[in-house]
Amino acid sequence: MDVLKLMAVLAELPKDRTRLLDNLGRVRHEVGPITPELSDAVADHMNVRRGEVHEVVSFYSFLDVPTDAVRVCVGPVCDCLGARDVLAREQEQASGVPVLGVECLGHCELAPVLLRGDSIEPEAVHRTNDGPSLALGSRDATLADYERRGGLTTLRSLPENEQIIAELKASGLAGLGGAGFPTGLKWEAVAKEDGPRYVIVNADEGEPGTIKDRYVMELRPHLMLEGMLIAMSFAEASEGLIYLREEYATARTRLLAAIAELREAGLLDGRSIELVVGAGAYICGEETAMLESMEGRRGMPRLKPPFPSQVGYLGRPTLINNVETLAHIPGILSNGGEWFAGLGRNGATGVRLWSISGAVREPGCYEAPNGSTLRELIDGLAGGSTEDIGAIVPGGAASGILPPDALDVPLTRDGLREWGAGAGSAGVQVFPASYSPLRLLAETMRFFAEESCQKCTPCRIGNRGLHHVLEELGQGTVVMSRHQVEEWLDAMAQTSICGLGQGAPFPVRNAFRFWPDLFAALGEPEAAVR
Amino acid sequence: MSAPVRASVPFTLDGKPASAPEGELLVHAAARHGVFIPTLCHDDKLDPYGGCRMCVVGVEGSPRPLPACATRVTEGMVVSTNSSVPQFRRTLTEMLLTEHLNPDPGGRPNELVDMAEEFQAEAPFILPDAKREPYDDRNSLMGYNPDACILCNRCVRYTQEVMQCSALSLEGRGPDARIVPTHGHSWLDTECELCGGCLGVCPTGAIYEKFEEGTERPERTLEKVKTTCTFCGVGCQIDLNVDPETKRIVKVTSDPTYVSNEGNLCVKGRFAFNFVHHPDRLTEPLVRGEDGELHEATWEHALEVAAQGLNDVKQRHGPQKIGFLASARLTMEENFAIQKLARTVVGTNSIHSCEAT
Repeated sequence: MDVLKLMAVLAELPKDRTRLLDNLGRVRHEVGPITPELSDAVADHMNVRRGEVHEVVSFYSFLDVPTDAVRVCVGPVCDCLGARDVLAREQEQASGVPVLGVECLGHCELAPVLLRGDSIEPEAVHRTNDGPSLALGSRDATLADYERRGGLTTLRSLPENEQIIAELKASGLAGLGGAGFPTGLKWEAVAKEDGPRYVIVNADEGEPGTIKDRYVMELRPHLMLEGMLIAMSFAEASEGLIYLREEYATARTRLLAAIAELREAGLLDGRSIELVVGAGAYICGEETAMLESMEGRRGMPRLKPPFPSQVGYLGRPTLINNVETLAHIPGILSNGGEWFAGLGRNGATGVRLWSISGAVREPGCYEAPNGSTLRELIDGLAGGSTEDIGAIVPGGAASGILPPDALDVPLTRDGLREWGAGAGSAGVQVFPASYSPLRLLAETMRFFAEESCQKCTPCRIGNRGLHHVLEELGQGTVVMSRHQVEEWLDAMAQTSICGLGQGAPFPVRNAFRFWPDLFAALGEPEAAVR
Repeated sequence: MSAPVRASVPFTLDGKPASAPEGELLVHAAARHGVFIPTLCHDDKLDPYGGCRMCVVGVEGSPRPLPACATRVTEGMVVSTNSSVPQFRRTLTEMLLTEHLNPDPGGRPNELVDMAEEFQAEAPFILPDAKREPYDDRNSLMGYNPDACILCNRCVRYTQEVMQCSALSLEGRGPDARIVPTHGHSWLDTECELCGGCLGVCPTGAIYEKFEEGTERPERTLEKVKTTCTFCGVGCQIDLNVDPETKRIVKVTSDPTYVSNEGNLCVKGRFAFNFVHHPDRLTEPLVRGEDGELHEATWEHALEVAAQGLNDVKQRHGPQKIGFLASARLTMEENFAIQKLARTVVGTNSIHSCEAT
């Protein structure tokens, strides 16, 4: 370790607790992976107890990993397309550089993928379309590009807050990170609370199979930032923060450049936009875990209520929106909520970005109406499937697992409810018939178990337990009856603190329902649960 | 300062009218109405955590049950704890048992095992990754067996919230997460003061006393004798845990309900009681005789000799040649008596207590 370098870096580190994650990231980049000694050095410098810094460092996947490490994605799509072989090959060829298997890297259209340092392999290309709302077809490399396409007009002539709420409600826009909470209601709730307020962009896209926020940030960073500035004006917030996942290096560079351009253009006067970079933890996409992480603690979800709109960042009312959600807002305010709502189909309102990956010819990220069917997305946008479809995950790990029979179901809340699934983050993952649903399910539960923050019992042990049950079932062994599994699922769905544990039962219940033969050995479900 | 008095508000508990100060934790409000809600991660000394989920209850209007340890009473709240709402206690207990490899590493009570009995819960299997890395600490007072830990985080929160120290950390994420003295160091190499508070709050006995023979004897078979700690003037209330056969003190515990220390102890109060049975302990006053040796004496005689000695010094050299050093173990009243003796009887202002250093 270069002690002089460490001393020099430490001297520059701010001591505010909210900067802990940033500080650790900087020490990792400039001095080396965070060892216990470095952890203690940062703790002493910041006057934070050593144990608490150790808790934070050990919570994240990457702080103690060198920056040039090779990270091979073993998310479900990559797993299905040969990630385990890639991992084995890399480990064999490794020359002193650590090679790790990591959860979804958010580049599923390139699967199987890996990160060598900050560079993605294979090389990233954007496969997308020019939708009516986000028009991702061409990239805004500079603020001038963005303005030429009509950018910033909404920000420069913002309607009154009441009007903004009315348009958002009329648009039917709902949070696109996965939870789908109506955006108009969320904004209204924050406006009711006393200031000062914060605005935070959730750019911790980590839902397996989901690449849309990365597309927005890489192709149209100014569009998202305009949405963010509108939110800040609306909430009278002088401080805005973006929590970005560490793996998105290109998005990071482009966002920073775009923020600098906005600052130079005088659009940030009296306001600040800061980028907070994560360190590898899926759970930090959960909004209260994200707040904890930003405040310099382990990313463990808070108990709700109170909700972040009441008690959020540093105890203040906080407006938290997903990247894509914000990107739709300039268009909604300039064209009207009715316009946006009218873009939907099959009774649904609006459009959204669908990340389509797996066994399709043209995997990518496409804008299409809400209410589209899987067949329309796969055949109409993603070039059709490469082989017989075995299973489809419609919107991220906890959205459910659907059989090919569901190809013509409109992907709406109501349409999917009958199938026990949800559209979630619209990360459509198409799995070939050759990939066993049991393997898919076991991998999903392994993912949840690895990513559980460990705070609550049902998530902490439930996911590990179900993974064990499925692994054993794959070997032909039954370690728990179907009845008892149902009891566990119930406890997870009902008593987990956050969406991770609450949502984990969805894919399991789907699989039980659509592939009953695979689980027959577990016995009858029995109706008497509860 | 006492807490501000809050208005009592009506609410409904299991279909019956109830009332509680607004903002009281449900777990407490229910207990006052005779409804016991089991908890594992809750401790009154600590901020609400809501992690183990054992205490979830139905609250009308909430889509999911809420933890009674972290939910506060509001006016008109309708709370259900009984079989009218889904019960998860047995299932949650089963879950915890699937990685509870060692229920009794050191004789301390285990609340999880009690709950397993009450709810008739058994582990359906043992998780393949249940085994945690063993932890062997070179300190001679406290042991820790990670295989009894249920990650309720009480010990870590105790160190952070009550002791304000860095002795323990909740380390990692996912199946590898564990509680361990910070960085896996020995407690002796952390900020730990060996107060044993983590041990006192541990619900499963994963942290335990290891210093004395007989410690491993189940704590519940020991006789508790309530007394006051003699180490300082605070007057912490303690329970001497006496082995009923040998009549020797095996360990010291303290109950959270005890006034003045609320179950908290320091390293001396919790661990330094071996002087009681020590063969060198003085049980009678000793006075040095003409022969130069110490001889047992009565208190009356001993005090007379001491007074005579002090008087002789005062006569020969004056009162300023005498100073008083008071023990830190004295109470305030005893210290008052000492300075009174020094100033009015002997006539010196040279008085000191080692409490001052």
